[in-house]
Amino acid sequence: MNAIEITNLSKTYKGKKFSTVEALKNLNLTVGQGEIFGFLGPNGAGKSTTIKALVGLIAPTAGSATVMGVDISSHEARRHVGYLPENPAFYDYLTAEEYLAFVGKVFHLPESLLREQSERVLKLLELWEARKRPIRGYSKGMVQRVGLAQVLIHDPDVYILDEPMSGLDPVGRALVKDIMLELKARGKCVFFSTHITADVETVCDRVGIILKGELKSVEHVDKIMTEGVLGYNLRIRTRNQPELVERYVAKEDLEMVMQKLFTAGDEISLIEPSRKSLEDFFLDIVKGKIC
Amino acid sequence: MFNIMSITLKGIFRDRVFHGILVVAFILPLIPVISTLSMRQVTELSITLSLSLISFILLLLAVFLGGTALWKDIERRYTYSVLSLPITRSSYLLGRFFGNALFMLITATLLGCVAAVVVWLVASGSPPDRQVVWMNFFLAVFFDAMKYILLVAVAVLFSTVSSSFFLPIFGTISAFLVGSSSQQVYDYVNSQPAQTLSLLTRKTASSLYYVLPNFSAFDLKVNAIYGLPLSLKGLFLTVVYGLVYGGIVLALSSVIFAKKEMK
Ligand SMILES: Nc1ncnc2c1ncn2[C@@H]1O[C@H](COP(=O)(O)OP(=O)(O)OP(=O)(O)O)[C@@H](O)[C@H]1O
Ligand SMILES: [Mg+2]
Repeated sequence: MNAIEITNLSKTYKGKKFSTVEALKNLNLTVGQGEIFGFLGPNGAGKSTTIKALVGLIAPTAGSATVMGVDISSHEARRHVGYLPENPAFYDYLTAEEYLAFVGKVFHLPESLLREQSERVLKLLELWEARKRPIRGYSKGMVQRVGLAQVLIHDPDVYILDEPMSGLDPVGRALVKDIMLELKARGKCVFFSTHITADVETVCDRVGIILKGELKSVEHVDKIMTEGVLGYNLRIRTRNQPELVERYVAKEDLEMVMQKLFTAGDEISLIEPSRKSLEDFFLDIVKGKIC
Repeated sequence: MFNIMSITLKGIFRDRVFHGILVVAFILPLIPVISTLSMRQVTELSITLSLSLISFILLLLAVFLGGTALWKDIERRYTYSVLSLPITRSSYLLGRFFGNALFMLITATLLGCVAAVVVWLVASGSPPDRQVVWMNFFLAVFFDAMKYILLVAVAVLFSTVSSSFFLPIFGTISAFLVGSSSQQVYDYVNSQPAQTLSLLTRKTASSLYYVLPNFSAFDLKVNAIYGLPLSLKGLFLTVVYGLVYGGIVLALSSVIFAKKEMK
């Protein structure tokens, strides 16, 4: 069973005076269990719209989707989901500990497990010291951490995170990446939106690029990285020259050049692939060079 | 739903609005002083004053807590984090409502007891001509609480229709004003002198009477003040009316809220 299956999902927002915004057009996508999927797109591309439809906050205009096989129109679909909203806000008169207890009870966690899990995630996200203070007094990054804590506390199968790294310091970002990899290792599905390509490069198995409500590309990150290799920078020490020489070799010429150097008896001290980064790939799509 | 109820209650107890309204309750102990200023019917006056004060406090609570409960959640984006949990929209809505309703009941009970002590003190200081009928007094408080709980249901309905705070607050206040006088209007329309009004006016007035809440039946102040006998059948009908009307309003709110987009 796929963790998330989206079929022909469309969403049109109705504004005032008959104006409409086609935020999402015919989206088809499946994400498997044990997969980290990055949903990449510029501002206003329709990432949050897709995610809000998945968690039942907005009703799709057309199409359907399932989470762990349950149709999203049922609240039962959300029993498998941990959702982090973008710029989250939580009942600010509650403390982090109380809020987690509330979420745990909604998910029917038994009391002892709840206490155990609460302590684990609060410590993991470095909220342990602040757990008895109302959320009202938290900083932006701390609220974001509460958001991650309430996602992790009930150990769901599917994680739907809208810009999970936003508002976090570098340590926090690294922590989130570690958490994602650990979830993947336990066979969980992580679906997250972002506009930062570097985040996708380091953790994702696949990336989907969405632009103006249309899904433009879905690729394995590995594949983009290998296909993105354009050539190599070689550092060579020739026999008759003491200094190192740098030389750029196009991808298809590499074998030939290596052969030549070898027969000449030159020494290669470094081979460095020069590649188009995911960022270049993303920008190419956004500028319409691909597709 | 019970989870939502319990955080609703927690929220109210930590709310500044509630603390503000609580201050008003401190007028209660002043009632004996004010009552004794009047030379005659001191006990009657103290009952009137305490019942009116309780009524006023409950009205404030209904309007400002009931009217803003949903609106605040939407405005502060709490709905994103709560409605994406595996709960239905209606259990959220009902949890919110019953949390508020329970709170009103608790407040009414507490205020009712404090007021009873106050009235008892006054009555023992200057014994009234008629004995205080305590049963009527407590029933008056209870029915008052029911009336305002019904008003909270109306406030919830307004909140599901509009996501601004304007309609819930002012809509609720208008519903209260109209609801408190609709019986009089209805009686007038069906009386002899009103037959000169056009049929349309009379029909509109009567249909509004059935659509809008009718609060006058819940008002037992006069019975409490003068110890007048209560009709059991009347009370029963009022309770049934409150349950049916409240049920319809909440069902309607649920249907509207289930369709609402959390954009
Ligand atoms: N409530 C709304 N009413 C009308 N249009 C909306 C509404 N919410 C979003 N939109 C429109 O839908 C489109 C997609 O918005 P969405 O929030 O999904 O973008 P996003 O990809 O999440 O962007 P960001 O990276 O800025 O978060 C945008 O053009 C936006 O203007
Ligand atoms: Mg977004």
